[in-house]
Amino acid sequence: MIRITVNGREIEADPQKPLIAACHSNGEHVPHYCYHPGLSAVGSCRICQVEVKQGERPARVVAACRTPVAEGMVVNTNAPAAHDSRRECLEFLLKNHPLDCPICDKAGECNLQDYAFDESQAESRTSEPRRTLEKRKDLGDVILLDQERCILCSRCVRFMDEVPQTPQLCISGRGSHSVVETWQDSPLTGNYQGNLADVCPVGALTLKDFRFQARVWNLSRVPSTCSECSRGCSISAEVLRDGEVKRMRPRPNEAVNGYWMCDVGRFSEAELNRSDRLGPAALRNTAGELVPAELDNALRVVRNLLQTHEAPLILASPYLTVEEGQAVSELAAACGAQAAFFSPPANDLADDVLHTGDPCPNRRGLEGIGLTAMNAEAWAAASAGTDCVLLVGERLLDLLGDTALDDLPISQRLVIMECRRSDHRAVDVAIGVPNRVERSGTWINVDGIEGSIRPARPAPQGIRSTGDLLRELGSTSDRTEEALSS
Amino acid sequence: MSSFETYLLVRAQLENSHTLEIARGDGAYKAFSKVLETSMEPEAVTEEVKKSGLRGRGGAGFPTGLKWSFMPNHETDTRSRYMAVNADESEPGTCKDRVLMREDPHCLIEGCLIAAYAMRLEAVYVYVRGEYRLPYDRMQAALDEARAAGLVGQNILGSGFSCEIHMHKGAGAYICGEETGLMESLEGKRGHPRPKPPFPAGFGLWGQPTTVNNVESIFNVPFILERGADWFRTLGTESSPGNFLCGISGHVEKPGVYEVPLGIPARTIVEDLAGGIWKGRALKAWFPGGSSTGVLPADTLDTPMDHDSVKGAGSMFGTGAMIILDETACVVRSALVLARFYEHESCGQCSQCREGTEWLEQIIARLLDGRGQSGDIDLLTDLCNGMTPGKTICALSDAAALPVLAALRHFRSEFEALIPAPAEVST
Repeated sequence: MIRITVNGREIEADPQKPLIAACHSNGEHVPHYCYHPGLSAVGSCRICQVEVKQGERPARVVAACRTPVAEGMVVNTNAPAAHDSRRECLEFLLKNHPLDCPICDKAGECNLQDYAFDESQAESRTSEPRRTLEKRKDLGDVILLDQERCILCSRCVRFMDEVPQTPQLCISGRGSHSVVETWQDSPLTGNYQGNLADVCPVGALTLKDFRFQARVWNLSRVPSTCSECSRGCSISAEVLRDGEVKRMRPRPNEAVNGYWMCDVGRFSEAELNRSDRLGPAALRNTAGELVPAELDNALRVVRNLLQTHEAPLILASPYLTVEEGQAVSELAAACGAQAAFFSPPANDLADDVLHTGDPCPNRRGLEGIGLTAMNAEAWAAASAGTDCVLLVGERLLDLLGDTALDDLPISQRLVIMECRRSDHRAVDVAIGVPNRVERSGTWINVDGIEGSIRPARPAPQGIRSTGDLLRELGSTSDRTEEALSS
Repeated sequence: MSSFETYLLVRAQLENSHTLEIARGDGAYKAFSKVLETSMEPEAVTEEVKKSGLRGRGGAGFPTGLKWSFMPNHETDTRSRYMAVNADESEPGTCKDRVLMREDPHCLIEGCLIAAYAMRLEAVYVYVRGEYRLPYDRMQAALDEARAAGLVGQNILGSGFSCEIHMHKGAGAYICGEETGLMESLEGKRGHPRPKPPFPAGFGLWGQPTTVNNVESIFNVPFILERGADWFRTLGTESSPGNFLCGISGHVEKPGVYEVPLGIPARTIVEDLAGGIWKGRALKAWFPGGSSTGVLPADTLDTPMDHDSVKGAGSMFGTGAMIILDETACVVRSALVLARFYEHESCGQCSQCREGTEWLEQIIARLLDGRGQSGDIDLLTDLCNGMTPGKTICALSDAAALPVLAALRHFRSEFEALIPAPAEVST
């Protein structure tokens, strides 16, 4: 570590990293477009200009992303000369910009918009015709390119080259005729395309999925962890006021996912907004129909089932948190049940980037508290050998598949604690639980690193937390009634 | 007419000077043989070039020997090291390297070999402008001859010294004449200049220590080694020794490439060598060293042609390629020609250059088209100041902006004349 002075404050800087990183890690923001901490630095946008003084040499304005730090360097990010340079640079960048912020999805989180607001003059001085290029260039299933908005920072090109290492984008043409495109307009492929919309500092690369879906200033962001594989990428869940999850985006975490996430994780948000949510509770009535019921009633029925059947099977969803898994263990101990978590087979999405191919986000966590992993075969054997089964946790029915319930013995009692409704004839009691953006807890990823999930929205009316419900099922009826009456 | 010693183009006067037979008969490879036979310390060769004060002829005028000495110590840094000879002569107005390669390729090869010896190079790459077909072919033929004669390749002349020289043909981009763009291009990538640092001496071709030198710079080296640094310093000026090739073009009677000592008054070149302004007209303006150097007015023609003097006159020596405009020329139109060139040649990496070169061209074109607006001159000035100095990865942005600034400084009235007077406001 070496010491430099930034805006009058002495700070420590990593000599392996450029000046801009030292500024950023000490809370001194330096505008940047082409620089991205997760990519190589090309120093081409020239917006990150700051004033640097070294030794006796006169102060000069340099691009912070390509300037190595040196002991004793004195940096002023707000020097008039640096500010002027950035203002000039912005004027050039805005010269051909279509200024279609009102219809641009990036508006509100666009670096061009932000810096123009911070540093540039309000009036444009160009009277020349602006470049007209392709506004809606289809780059495949995920991404749409607006070449007019592009500022040619080449982050997207470098992302494809350096992160998934599947070079697919290039800048073709020269000078003011440069455009980003794919080779012969072929569609982009791979599991990491969504990151392109994140790395794009302007509104050039947008997600088809998010296009015209929400204004970003209407989204609240909650730090969370991705559920789609055992990597457990750190993410933000971005939610509209009505609770609809609009977007999942990676949250920087050097130890786990860097700055990225895969498309499978990114686009798992649709599952969170499903409309077939299960209410607080449902019981099968005498007519054989599953009808809404009081939660307390349902809990009483389930408690009774667990206590009156010998060796019930409690199968947990692999999406349960460590805390919920603990509650499953305790319940199983209280009622002499066998407890396990369902372990779906590995998928073929594993790669050398992030995806592990193991769909259980909390395998290490659940195994760590003593729950055994149960695959489909083991489940079939175990469920056939008991008269009472409790399925706990979101997406478990989807993972098992509806046909898995078809084979259950007629006499068997089946309780589901799920997020979605099921009208399968085998279900006797259904209790609604919160999904992974409605609850909090801990997952432990493939490398043993903890990731938290946190509620990005409240659970639907009347839905109580899985842990509470499990604890209530494990307590004696007397105590429950005591608690209820007090 | 003033007389002075010449050496660069002396051999070129001989018939078939490009062949090994004629060149060797005229003393080619003598300096190199001397270096080999006397087993000079490589560092001593560099020292001699340093002592000569030779300044690079590619435009920046950086001392060649000093540049060589930037190569890392061979004992502590054992990486392969290379030299790239910049023969991508693409600057409008500049046409000197073409003559050297076409008429005396063996002298360039000899220079490469001496440089390779001095810097312990593994190989030399000669990057020739794609349009230079005859110079390329002559270089290639000379290289083949030299290799056959044991002058290039392994164990040269039985000395144990080895050096490969490879030819490479550019594909027509001006930016590939920028040293780091050239290296990218040589590596098979797009000619996008690299940000510095790291500098080529530490991280050049394929990440190895590399020196990039202009053809004419290397061409001077055999003469310095053969005749000595002291002899070299008898030519030219104190700070810019030696002769240079002045390619003079534009409105003169005899455009061409002339060998003259540095420090010679520009007027001598124009009037004595190039036959004066054509058609008996008067001089209006001149570019001292290629299109990237700021235009100067006629009254500066007595400026000595050396780096410091031309700088003192408010421009740059550049490649010493003078472009002459007579009294009938329109400076604004010449500015448009150049703006169009730079707009076409900007690689597009840096925001200022990519957008600025286009913007300058648009404004100047609009002025000439009768659609000038009040404020255009201020805007041009501001834009140019936004493009220079040193605000971009390479100097193309500066090269595009400085001539416009110079034209505005010296010929502002010509620009002003193109802006319509504001309409009378009737009350």
